[in-house]
Amino acid sequence: MNADYDVIVVGCGPAGALAARAAARAGCKVAAFDKRKELGSPVRCGEGMGSHWIKEFGVKLSPNAVSANINGSVLVSPDWKNKVTIRTPETKGVVIDRKVFDKDLAIDAGRAGADIFIHSEVFDVIKEGGKVSGVKAYIDGKPQEFRAPVTIAADGGESTIARLAGINTTATLYDSDFGVEYEMVNVDCEDLIEIYFSVADAPRGYVWIFPKGKDVANVGVGIGGLHAPNARFYLDKWIRAHPERLGKAKPVAIKGGIITVGAPMTDSAVGEGIIVAGTAAHQVDPIHGGGISLAMEAGKIAGEVAAKNAMAGTCDRRHLLEYGAIYKKLREPKLLKRLLLRKVLEKLNDDDMNAIFAHLNGKDIEHLLNGRFPSVAAKMMKIMVSRPGLVKTLAALA
Amino acid sequence: MSAVIEIDRRLCIYCNSCTGVCPVLANTLREVVVQHDPQKCIDCGACVKACPMGAIKLRKGKKSV
Repeated sequence: MNADYDVIVVGCGPAGALAARAAARAGCKVAAFDKRKELGSPVRCGEGMGSHWIKEFGVKLSPNAVSANINGSVLVSPDWKNKVTIRTPETKGVVIDRKVFDKDLAIDAGRAGADIFIHSEVFDVIKEGGKVSGVKAYIDGKPQEFRAPVTIAADGGESTIARLAGINTTATLYDSDFGVEYEMVNVDCEDLIEIYFSVADAPRGYVWIFPKGKDVANVGVGIGGLHAPNARFYLDKWIRAHPERLGKAKPVAIKGGIITVGAPMTDSAVGEGIIVAGTAAHQVDPIHGGGISLAMEAGKIAGEVAAKNAMAGTCDRRHLLEYGAIYKKLREPKLLKRLLLRKVLEKLNDDDMNAIFAHLNGKDIEHLLNGRFPSVAAKMMKIMVSRPGLVKTLAALA
Repeated sequence: MSAVIEIDRRLCIYCNSCTGVCPVLANTLREVVVQHDPQKCIDCGACVKACPMGAIKLRKGKKSV
């Protein structure tokens, strides 16, 4: 086979950039494609992530990649009577500027030696003998073919390339949330992210305020895919209903996106000569919907597995399944635990949630969200005594 | 009776929701515009529900291709 590259990466967001960097560092000839002129744009993201990940992935960020440092979170009950503040090392985070952040990741990949084709849309895969052997992309507007023994599809929520290769990554409405956010000015911000729970205000989701500076924040809402009419309706309604918090706030940007909150793909994200990574493979936290760090992690694994097998000439599905195996060991169990919790939480009504907030402190809620259910069992029993209807719903966690 | 998907391009914010849920790749995002292919569309309405901006409507009527 006439191979132009060892590894092809489609999409240069957090998953693609880390995949390209990892494969290039392993000594591979790498081509990463992105259809956008400006990486990170349009932003489709709340832009929050845990700060430890940046160190863990050894990413060099320019000073303005981080908009704000976060020391914890405030969780607010539907009736606003209980506000639980959690400040722990685990809740330390950053709100980033994706336009700067994503470019920084690509710069890292480029420094590692990867070729990056910007404003170059991949529009098809090349399949030969039942195996993906490259892609077709528009370079300077002209279609060109590129061949490599392994392709990594890191093309986000749209995930066209994986699907053209025959891997079903279509998101179901039930396992997707859809979000809209305004970046707003004149919002008083502390060093905390704010999360507002309420079935009425954000069915199967939540309202968020993520500070991006002293008086600038991303204000957004995500709702479950089966809820009508749409996220923007709920966001505008919430902003109108809370003049005490956002009365002076003015939008300076609007962003939106799909948040896949079902099970992450593992083995099913691998095909003959192709690996799917990041949001395209639904590798998103089912509780909070965060996907940046998970995409980086999956991208890095995909890049390393792709590099190893490209060098060895073993890019059939059987060998590439090492990616699925690593992911199943490293991340899937935690995400499945949180998926179970999501499926319980989505059954609660506002009265249930108010009762839970009234009984649990920050530490308890942290235990609950991290799947350490036995630690909160005693208190949950108390809540269930006062609300017998909850017994059946919460039994799934036992 | 068939139906037609209509995308209000003045409302679209290129967020990728309609593309992600479309089972037949009828919606694709070119750099700054969603392209809808009525030939591929099976009128399932998933993108109508997914669009966070309410920019997509399913209108009863004949497909004009």
